[in-house]
Amino acid sequence: MMKEGVIITKINIKRQGERKHFQIKLPNDTKHIIGIEYGGRLVSKADTKAVEAIPKAAVQSEVVTTEATYPMAEYVEVKERGKTFFKRNQLVGELKLQSSEESNWFYAADVLLNDSNIGLGDFSQSGFPVNDFTHGNKRTEEIVKVDAESTIVQGWYLDAIGKTQKTDINYEVTIYVWINVEE
Amino acid sequence: MLKATKKRFDIKITQANSTVSDTFELDKNIVKVHGVLVTSDKDDLLYYRGTQKIEINKEEFFPENYESKLLMSGINVAPKQRYYDLGGVAPGNGRVQITYKDLDDGRTRFEPYRVSLYLDCEMEDEL
Repeated sequence: MMKEGVIITKINIKRQGERKHFQIKLPNDTKHIIGIEYGGRLVSKADTKAVEAIPKAAVQSEVVTTEATYPMAEYVEVKERGKTFFKRNQLVGELKLQSSEESNWFYAADVLLNDSNIGLGDFSQSGFPVNDFTHGNKRTEEIVKVDAESTIVQGWYLDAIGKTQKTDINYEVTIYVWINVEE
Repeated sequence: MLKATKKRFDIKITQANSTVSDTFELDKNIVKVHGVLVTSDKDDLLYYRGTQKIEINKEEFFPENYESKLLMSGINVAPKQRYYDLGGVAPGNGRVQITYKDLDDGRTRFEPYRVSLYLDCEMEDEL
């Protein structure tokens, strides 16, 4: 009977632009790798001189009223300043995984911070701020199908957020490798 | 006759960077556990700081350090799709153990909070 399991690997990044090679050891009875997902945690930020590179949405409208002499009517001009732009998601780093069985990466992903545009389109102004932890989607693993007979997965991670912000940020990236195990 | 039921179990986190473990017992007439979901009264703390291990009938379904954010669903998710699908697990002795670990994240300030574990179950109707 096949059973699912997950192997959790944490990698710690401390310096800007840090590149890390790592290995994920799978149990001997692993048959396939069936899914990959990732998470992360900020440990500490060494320096705060860098400014968060998240653009803020600005919507401003101005109503100008001018009075005409004849006929008695109001002329209302509405000027709109600025637009609501999509915000760029903050790239944290790049993650790639390779099986020892086959050449080339079987998984490559941009590790991103929260969805910066999750609140876009919410015009309710209801006082219930839109955040990932209240309005976020359900997370599921990304499905892959890779043989795992050699039980070793090679991994590679490159920091991007520290490089962008020109500061050393200490954070952890957690990689979840979902596997099929024969019982 | 079988009918769907939801169960909720709560634990309190009162200290930062602590581990809280608790075991709960399911009703005897529960025959399957279909899904799992975690929520909190302070969602941000659970989302950024929480990891947990979940065992049902001494079988580990989510190992230590499995992040809570991966088992959360926001209000944008349809109510019927919010639970993480376990695929109909037999509850065995009916004991559900959660070992929750709070870990400082750097983006949040700790306050005592509640973690709720929801289980989507199927039970035999007693009638």
